[in-house]
Amino acid sequence: MSILNKVKDFGTEIKTHWNTPAEGKYVPYKEYKDVIIGVGANYTGSKVLEYIGFWSSCFLIMYHYKLPYLTFSVIGLLNMPLGYISALIWWYVCDNLGFLPKKAEKKVYVAYGLMALFGISTLIFDYSRLFNQSGWFITTLNSFEGMSATACFKTFGTHFLYTGWVGARNIFWRKKLIPKYGRYKYGLYCDVIPKCVMVILIGWLPVYNIADVATRVWVANLLFATYNVFGFGNVLEECSKRISPNLQERILVRSYPVKISHIFNSILAIILPVFVGMLRYEWADINFYRWIIPATFCISAACTMFLAGRIKERIPQPPIEKKVQIKFWDGMLGVLRNKYLLINTVVGLIDALGNGMLPFATILYFYTFRLSGLPYSLLVALISFAGTPPDLLSPYFLKKFSYKQIMIFYQLSRAIGNAIIAVAMWTLGDNLALCGTICVVVLFFMEMTKTVPTTASHDMNVRIADYQMYLSGERLESFAGIFGWFTGPITTFVGLIIPIFLLKYGFNSNWEILFFDGSRRNIVVVPIIVDTIGFFLMSIPYFFWDYDNRKQNLVMEVLKRRAEVTEKKAEEEGVSVSGGYIG
Amino acid sequence: MSKKEKKKITNDWGTDVHLDIPEDEIWTYQVPGLAAPHINKPYKYYTLKKVLFVITIVIAVSLSIFFSVLALQNDTFKYEETDNGIQFSKFSNTGYLYELEIDYVSDIEYIPGNNDPATNFKVVKDETKPITSIRQFTLNCDDKVKTVYIGANVTDIDPKAFYSCWALQNIEVDENNPNYCDVDGVLYNKDKTELLCYPCDHDEYLRQKYGYEKELYRDEVTPEYERDIQTYVVPSTVKKLSEMCLNYANLRVIYLPEGLETIETLAVFKLHERVDQWSTSPSLQNIYTYKSSDVTDTHFTTKEALGEVYLSLPDGLKFIGSDAFSYNQNLQYVYIPSSVTYIGHHAFWDACYKEDGEIKGVNVMNVACDEETFATLTVGDDWLPKYDKGFFKKAVDMNYSAAREAVK
Repeated sequence: MSILNKVKDFGTEIKTHWNTPAEGKYVPYKEYKDVIIGVGANYTGSKVLEYIGFWSSCFLIMYHYKLPYLTFSVIGLLNMPLGYISALIWWYVCDNLGFLPKKAEKKVYVAYGLMALFGISTLIFDYSRLFNQSGWFITTLNSFEGMSATACFKTFGTHFLYTGWVGARNIFWRKKLIPKYGRYKYGLYCDVIPKCVMVILIGWLPVYNIADVATRVWVANLLFATYNVFGFGNVLEECSKRISPNLQERILVRSYPVKISHIFNSILAIILPVFVGMLRYEWADINFYRWIIPATFCISAACTMFLAGRIKERIPQPPIEKKVQIKFWDGMLGVLRNKYLLINTVVGLIDALGNGMLPFATILYFYTFRLSGLPYSLLVALISFAGTPPDLLSPYFLKKFSYKQIMIFYQLSRAIGNAIIAVAMWTLGDNLALCGTICVVVLFFMEMTKTVPTTASHDMNVRIADYQMYLSGERLESFAGIFGWFTGPITTFVGLIIPIFLLKYGFNSNWEILFFDGSRRNIVVVPIIVDTIGFFLMSIPYFFWDYDNRKQNLVMEVLKRRAEVTEKKAEEEGVSVSGGYIG
Repeated sequence: MSKKEKKKITNDWGTDVHLDIPEDEIWTYQVPGLAAPHINKPYKYYTLKKVLFVITIVIAVSLSIFFSVLALQNDTFKYEETDNGIQFSKFSNTGYLYELEIDYVSDIEYIPGNNDPATNFKVVKDETKPITSIRQFTLNCDDKVKTVYIGANVTDIDPKAFYSCWALQNIEVDENNPNYCDVDGVLYNKDKTELLCYPCDHDEYLRQKYGYEKELYRDEVTPEYERDIQTYVVPSTVKKLSEMCLNYANLRVIYLPEGLETIETLAVFKLHERVDQWSTSPSLQNIYTYKSSDVTDTHFTTKEALGEVYLSLPDGLKFIGSDAFSYNQNLQYVYIPSSVTYIGHHAFWDACYKEDGEIKGVNVMNVACDEETFATLTVGDDWLPKYDKGFFKKAVDMNYSAAREAVK
C-alpha cells in the first residue's frame, strides 16, 4: 500500500471514529484532541509551579529568602512525627475515596479541627517559653541550623494547621466531587482559584525581607504551607494514563497525544528564559515571581479548566455505592502482599543514596556556562528534545523489550553517564568549555535514554495499582506509602550525609560559592559518585521483576468482570450507581 | 514452547484473553502466576501480624527521628586535632552570640534558672587547649556574629573561613600573633603583604566609628559618607588580594597600591550597597592605583596623601583570578596593564548591562598590550564582560594598545 493510501486510510479512520471509538477501543479521536490541549495546558501549568517551592534550589529561596541549606532538613524532621500520624488518617480517607462510615467521618473531622486549632494557637503564642530555656530540649532546638526554639514551635504548629486544613478539605471535596469528576482530576475544580491567588501572593508578599533568619524561616514555611494546601498537579495526564482498559490504547495515548501535548511546555521553556533574560538581574529579579510566573500560570490554569471535563478516566471499577470498603488494617496488610511494590521500595531505598545532592544541570547551566536568555532556553530545549524521538517509538520498545530489560538498561545507562560526568568535572573542572561540552553531550544521551523507561515506569505504576485492585478490591495508592515508613530511617539518615558534606565545602544559603572552582568541584562531583554507585545497585532488584503483559491482561479481565457483576447487582437492587466503569 | 514464543506471548499487548469467571467467584478468582485476591476476608494470625507491624513501625520511626536529630544537632564549636595543633572547624551560632573569640577551645555553658535565651549562657574556655588554625568555611553564612577576635596562637587561617558572614563588622587580631594582624578591623597577614578578609558588614563598623547614625541608601549618599564609609585604601605593602577577600563589601571606590601583584579568585566579587530597605544594587564605581610606598592608613582622606594616583588596575599586576570582579555593574573603567600574564575565567563577568539601548558599566576593555602580545597571555573563558544583544550575549569590545585614561 502506498504512503498516500495509508494517509487516506488514516484520515478516514479518524473521521469515522471521531466521536465513537473503534471496536475493542475505548477512546474516540475527539478525546485525543482534548488530551493534546488539556494535558498540554495542565502540564505547562504544573511545570510553571516547579519554579515555586520550599526547597533550596527554588530561585525565590536561592536569591531572595536565602535560607540555610540544612534548615529544610530540620523542618522535615520537625514535621516527621505528625507526618507519620496524619498519613495514617490520610491513607484511610483517600483509599476509601472520602466515603467513610458516618461515625468514622465525624471522628476524623474532629481530629482535623483540633489539629488546625492547635496550629493557629502556636502561631499566636510562643510555646517555647513554657520550657526551661537552659534545658537540653530548648538548647537542642536552638542548635538547629537557621532555627530558634520559637521558630521550631511555630514550624511544628504550622504543620498541624496545614494537616488539619488539608485533611478536612480532602474529605469534603472528595465526597462532593469524585462521583462527578472521577478520582484523579476532581482536585482541579476546588483548588484552581485559590491556587491562582496564592501564586500571585507568593511573589508579592515581601516576607523574604524579614531580617532575622529564624523568623524568616517560620513565616516562609507558613506561606509555602498555605500555598501547598491547594494543588494543581499534572492530573489530566494521570487521567490519560487510565484513559482505557486496553493496554495498547493506553500506550498509544501516552506516546502520541500526551507527548504532543508537552510541546506547549517545550515552547514555554524556550520563551520563559528569554523574558527572564530581559530582566536586569535575570533569575534573581523578583519581577520573575511578580509578573512572569503568575501570568503564565493563570493562562495555563484557565485552559486546563476549559478542557478538564472532556478527558475521562476508564478504570474498570464498581460504582462508588458498591465499592469495597477498605478497613484500616486491610489496607495496611493489603499493600504488603504486593510483591512489585516491595521491589520498587528496595529500588527507592538505594536511590536515597543521591538524596540531598544539588541539581547538577542547574549548576552546569548557571555556574559553569553562566547561561541566561535564549542560549539557556536553546540548550535546555536541545537536551529535553533528545528524549522526544525515542519516546515516539515507545510502543515499539515496550513491545520489543520487557519492563525488566528496559529498567536494567536505564539504571546502568545512568550509572555510566554519571561516572563520565564525574571524571570530566574532576579532571577538567577549570576548562569550562571542554568540561561543559562533555557534560552536555552526556546529558543529551542520558535524556535520550530516559524517556522510554519513564513511559514504561509510568505505565507499570498504573499496572501495579491495577494488580493491587485485583488483590484488595481497591488501588490502595495511598496505603502504599507505608513502604516509606520502613525505609524512612535509612533514607532520612543517608539523605543527610550529602547536605552535611556540602556544608563542609562552603555551600549554604549562598549559592554563589559555586562560582568558586574548588568548591564547585567537591560540591558536585562527590555526590555524583555516590549517585553512580546507587544506579549500579538499583539495577539488581529489577532482575526479580516478572509482571508481564499477559498477567496484566488477565488482571484487567478480572476487574472488568467484577465491575460488570457488581453494577448488574446494584441495578437489580435499584441502588443508584455513580463513578463506576465496566470497560 | 520455545523461549521466543514464550517471550512473544508475555510481551504481546494484544493477547486475546478471556476469562469465564462465575459471578460468585469474582472476588476470589486467582490469576495463574499471581497471588490470590484477599478481599474482605480475615487474615491468618491477624493480631500477631498487627502487633509485629506496629512494633516494626515504631522502631523504624524512632530510629528515623533519632538518626535525624543526631545528624542535624550542631555543637556551637567544633574542633579537630591536626598535625599543627587544634583546628577550629565549624561554628554554629546559638542565635545570640555576637562576639566570637577564637583563641582557646570553647564550649557553651548554660546558666540554670535564667530563662532569657539571649543571656542564659556563657562561653567557657579551656586555656590548656589553644587553637592554632581556622578551617575554610568555619563561620559560613553566619548572620549574627559582629566581631571576631583571633588569639595569639592562631597561626593558620584559611581566607575563606569567614565567607558570607553577613553581620561581621570587624576582625581583631591579638598583637602577639606571629602570622596575622588587623588594620582597623580588616584581616591581613602579619607583614601586611596579603589582604585576607574585609568583613561583609565592615561599613557598619565604619559608620559607628565616624559617627553616622544610620546607613545611607544609594541616592542619599553624600561625598563625606562615600569617603568615610565606601572608600577603602589598601595599604602600600599589600602584594596580594586573597580569595574572596573583599566580596560583598559596601564599597564604591578602592585604592590599590602599585606594588599589588595578585588579585585572587572572587577577590572583588559583587560589591553592593542598599537602594532601599528591600533591595541592593552594585556599588563599586572606580578602582584607582596609587604610587606612594608608605601608606598604612586605610581611611581615605585626599588623593594627594596617596601620592600620584591613576585609574584602574596597577602597573605591575600579574594575576587576575577567575570571577575577580564579577557582578560589579557600576564599575566605570577597567585598564589591564601590560604586566598581567593571567586572567581567570569570567574575571569581569556581568560587569556591564544594557539599559535604554546603552551599554552601562565596563563597556569597553582597555588593554595596554597589542593584540599579538595579548594572544600570548593565559586567559580563561568568557573573561570579558558581556551585554544583551538581541536574544544573545555579546562581549564588550577590546581596545588594544590603549593609553590609560587620566583621572578626572
